[in-house]
Amino acid sequence: MRIGEAISVIASFGQPYRLRPLRFKWSGQLMDVKEITYAWETRDGQAKIYRFSVSSGDSLYELSFNADTLLWRLENLDAS
Amino acid sequence: MIILCVDMDAYFASVEQQANPGLRGKPVAVIGSGARTVITTRSYEARRYGVKTGMNIYEAKKLCPQLILVVGDNTKYTYTCQELTKVYRRFTPDMETYSIDEAFLDITTTHHLFGGPEAIGRAIKEEVTGRFGISCTIGIAPNILMAKLASDLAKPDGLQWIRPEERASVLEDLPVQELWGIGSKLADKLALMGIRTCGELGRTPVSLLRSRFGIIGEHLKAMGMGLCQRPVAAAEEDPKSIGHSITLPRNICEQEEIERQLLQLSEMVGKRARKGGFAGRKVSLTIRYPDFETFIKQATLHDYTNHTHEIYRTALSILADIKLKASLRLIGVCLSDLVSGYSQMPLFGEREKETALLSAVDAINDRFGDFKITWASYLEQEKGQRVISPAWRPSGVRNVKIR
Repeated sequence: MRIGEAISVIASFGQPYRLRPLRFKWSGQLMDVKEITYAWETRDGQAKIYRFSVSSGDSLYELSFNADTLLWRLENLDAS
Repeated sequence: MIILCVDMDAYFASVEQQANPGLRGKPVAVIGSGARTVITTRSYEARRYGVKTGMNIYEAKKLCPQLILVVGDNTKYTYTCQELTKVYRRFTPDMETYSIDEAFLDITTTHHLFGGPEAIGRAIKEEVTGRFGISCTIGIAPNILMAKLASDLAKPDGLQWIRPEERASVLEDLPVQELWGIGSKLADKLALMGIRTCGELGRTPVSLLRSRFGIIGEHLKAMGMGLCQRPVAAAEEDPKSIGHSITLPRNICEQEEIERQLLQLSEMVGKRARKGGFAGRKVSLTIRYPDFETFIKQATLHDYTNHTHEIYRTALSILADIKLKASLRLIGVCLSDLVSGYSQMPLFGEREKETALLSAVDAINDRFGDFKITWASYLEQEKGQRVISPAWRPSGVRNVKIR
């Protein structure tokens, strides 16, 4: 399901992912990222967008981080 | 010579199964987002039910009612391919990305640096699985033909090395259609000559093959013997043409809608040509009717161009000469007879202005994203390429950005 909303995210920088979302807040709820199932990058013009498919245990989310605007977004939700 | 073929296993489906743990171990088919989509690829679990690439959804669901359909996310596949290319280049600079899920590496002069061909194969497999959670099959052989065969024989998640001395025994009883480049029609023609296995093909007198198949007769005999002269094409050749086509969400017959589609396709062709420094003198228009009858008509310009509107106007003039017999299912625009490094000095004021305008629009879209500035007439429609063409490559003019 397409969401496309700006969200707040706690993330870490390091390895193996240079950027790793750990926890995010959406609709007033805090979600812990249990697993990053896939990570990839796209570009919107010159802006690099880091994309993550993440699991909270119950649901699968697609998060994106725009390295130009420094904004996180919840792009998609796949509730199981 | 030592060639290594890397072939990803059920690539798009494996990526989707990795990205979504709920899909793992289940029959999954990746489809396009369009209304008239077909199966792009399918997981090994789906293959067991007979689901094949190119099937429509109805056929696939009939074979496997529990089949899970996933709309493919092309950005994942193109990014992963680009990253894999970087992995391969660690082992040799002589690397060819043959398609989005296949690559050939010439490791003849580098394998000793990494512990031998099998060690390279294992290292690539570990990296693919460790980093992306998907698997690939590695074929190693003295040439591209045999390396591809080795990977086909070892699928999925395998590693096979066919050494020169093993070539004849591997090929002896192998059906000819197992060879890369021999399809079912050619195999049928060979069967009519009593040739069913590669061993038989390799022993057939070349004169017989030449009399039946012409110039490719010699090539076929060599294939039967497991010989292939084709080198790994590390440097990408200049394209012979730059084209885009679109299968429309519904058949269209309205002139305004056809023109809108043509303008978008002309812009995509022109933009790619300008970015790569190419210009062309021939514009062709492809149209396909709902009954799949397809034809291509071409016009030649007086001068080379990569201007969107010149491509568009030429495509329109071709269209004006065609009496359409039905609505259209597919439209395509192609620019060919290309020259590279094109930078003709514009002689006339209007053309100079148009060149400057296109250059400014391209620069803005490169900075802020495709179609940020675009033609008003197709503002409301879906824009961009949605299908990964077989010609897609991780870099260069064939690196089309896919949505």
